[in-house]
Amino acid sequence: MIDIDRVTVQFGGVFPLDDLTLQLDGSIVGIVGPNGAGKTTLLNVISGFVTASQGSITVDGTDILAMAPYKRARWGIRRTFQTEQVVNELTVRDNVSVMLDTARLSSSERAASIERALEITGLVHHADRSAHVLNAFERRLVELARAVVGTPKVIMMDEPAAGLSNLETAELRATIARLPAATSAMVVLIDHDVELIAAICENTAVLDFGELIAYGPTAASLSDSKVRAAYLGVAVEEA
Amino acid sequence: MTRLGRELVRLLPVAVVMLFLAWWIPAYFSSYWLRAFTAAVVYSLAALGVGLLYGRLGLVSLANFALLGVGAWVSLRLGLHDPRLPVAANIVIGGIVAAAIGTVIGLPALRLRGLYLALVTLMSAGAFFVVINAIGFPEGGSGFTGRGGSGAVRNAPRPSFAETDSAYFRFALVVAILGFALVLVHLRTSPGRAWAMIRRSEAAAHSAGVNVTMYKTWAFTLAGFLAGVAGGLYAANIGRPGTGDFGAASSMILFGISVSAGSFHLLGAALAGLLARGLPALFSQHGINAEIANMIFGFLLMFSLTAAPEGAAGQLTGLARSIRAKLTPRRGRPAPGVEPTRPAGPDAADQAAAEVPS
Repeated sequence: MIDIDRVTVQFGGVFPLDDLTLQLDGSIVGIVGPNGAGKTTLLNVISGFVTASQGSITVDGTDILAMAPYKRARWGIRRTFQTEQVVNELTVRDNVSVMLDTARLSSSERAASIERALEITGLVHHADRSAHVLNAFERRLVELARAVVGTPKVIMMDEPAAGLSNLETAELRATIARLPAATSAMVVLIDHDVELIAAICENTAVLDFGELIAYGPTAASLSDSKVRAAYLGVAVEEA
Repeated sequence: MTRLGRELVRLLPVAVVMLFLAWWIPAYFSSYWLRAFTAAVVYSLAALGVGLLYGRLGLVSLANFALLGVGAWVSLRLGLHDPRLPVAANIVIGGIVAAAIGTVIGLPALRLRGLYLALVTLMSAGAFFVVINAIGFPEGGSGFTGRGGSGAVRNAPRPSFAETDSAYFRFALVVAILGFALVLVHLRTSPGRAWAMIRRSEAAAHSAGVNVTMYKTWAFTLAGFLAGVAGGLYAANIGRPGTGDFGAASSMILFGISVSAGSFHLLGAALAGLLARGLPALFSQHGINAEIANMIFGFLLMFSLTAAPEGAAGQLTGLARSIRAKLTPRRGRPAPGVEPTRPAGPDAADQAAAEVPS
């Protein structure tokens, strides 16, 4: 479980996250919200690229804000980016194995772990290809394999389906749905594709202007009147 | 075949070429050219460090020729202080001292990039020039500077087994090969992967568990070590290095030549050595002012930055790839004269591209 307690992020006079308190739990959790809602900022705070001006975040009871970003990744907080970050000069296998370079594993354990990540993401047959020949979908999968390899505790994905075709999105959706069982990690998914969120997320948080406006089972969250108002610009009817 | 086996097979032609050069150059070239080729080998070692920083990490360091000077100074000081000290050990110690100074010069790289880092490192090279002018190179005297010896000014000692120009060329070649092998091992293992991630983006590197601070610092340390070792070889090659050899302009020229020769490839470092030392030697031999070579380097750098970002080595490897692709029948595309059995698809093109080594 990710426990976010009164987290504020301030950029000058702007508050991308404003006193946010939220407990993310479930196998696959979605985070949605209009542009500028603070979704990516929240991901950046959890992964260490943005510093919170106040508040605390614990993952499975461990305070993560004290850790350097690379130590969080080694500890098990993994992420992908809106713009994929695959290294063209490396092979698919090397792109994945970089994550285990500091792990205390024997060479056979390491090889097995990489093979497992490639199997989960369907990249086994691409393992020794140079990344520069991969298409956009395969590159997304390489980045996902890097997040999956080893023993991740949380896998966070920032708009993984951006720019993919419907067929590729469906395949990616099936892959993401397999992750909790395959890795025992909690999956956090940010996407504008509400259909994707509705299809695979157990719980969903909805953010708007840095504040939480709904959290709970996905169907309930997405049908919340405040959520509809945030997305459609409709005034909320007072009870 | 295992990955190591494939790597060894890939390096076999390089080993054969190196063995051939070690035999052929001393056997067929004059002493003038032998010294020029030795200088080229030495220069390539320094260019290797520049390429490591710029090609692998995108960091501009304009202090590497000054670090070569550090290695030359330390190695020469030790060699003249006690001629019984093994020269190879002096060279390594010179490399270690230059690595330490290189690490300190690289510390701003943890915060700075691009022009600002270039300026800071250039100032470091300028500072070294001031210091070396103030204390001069050792002459065999006592004290820290080794100046003021009562006897005749002595040359930097060479290893007892490599006192002739031929033997010294082979010695320098072996040391350079070891330097290239050291970098290659780094590139094929975790530091190489970490550097590639950092070059892609520091955020991506952090998210892959890479300690960006440590790996950036280590790159500067390694580049400093290579420059320092090159400095030791340089001193023993020319005998008496002068303070004027290590001006800040030399570091800028080293960077410019490394980029135009191709800092993304190991071959680029070797080409940089040949360009920097072979071209002036060729001009001098034909009575042309060797300084004209610097103008040519400037044009080559402009051409490289505008039209060939991967430099001469990138052009050559690209040419080799296209020739190999034309000679090798691709899966899905029959050899000339063979009736196609099925149309070539995108998979076939991808497969063929994957077979081209990067």
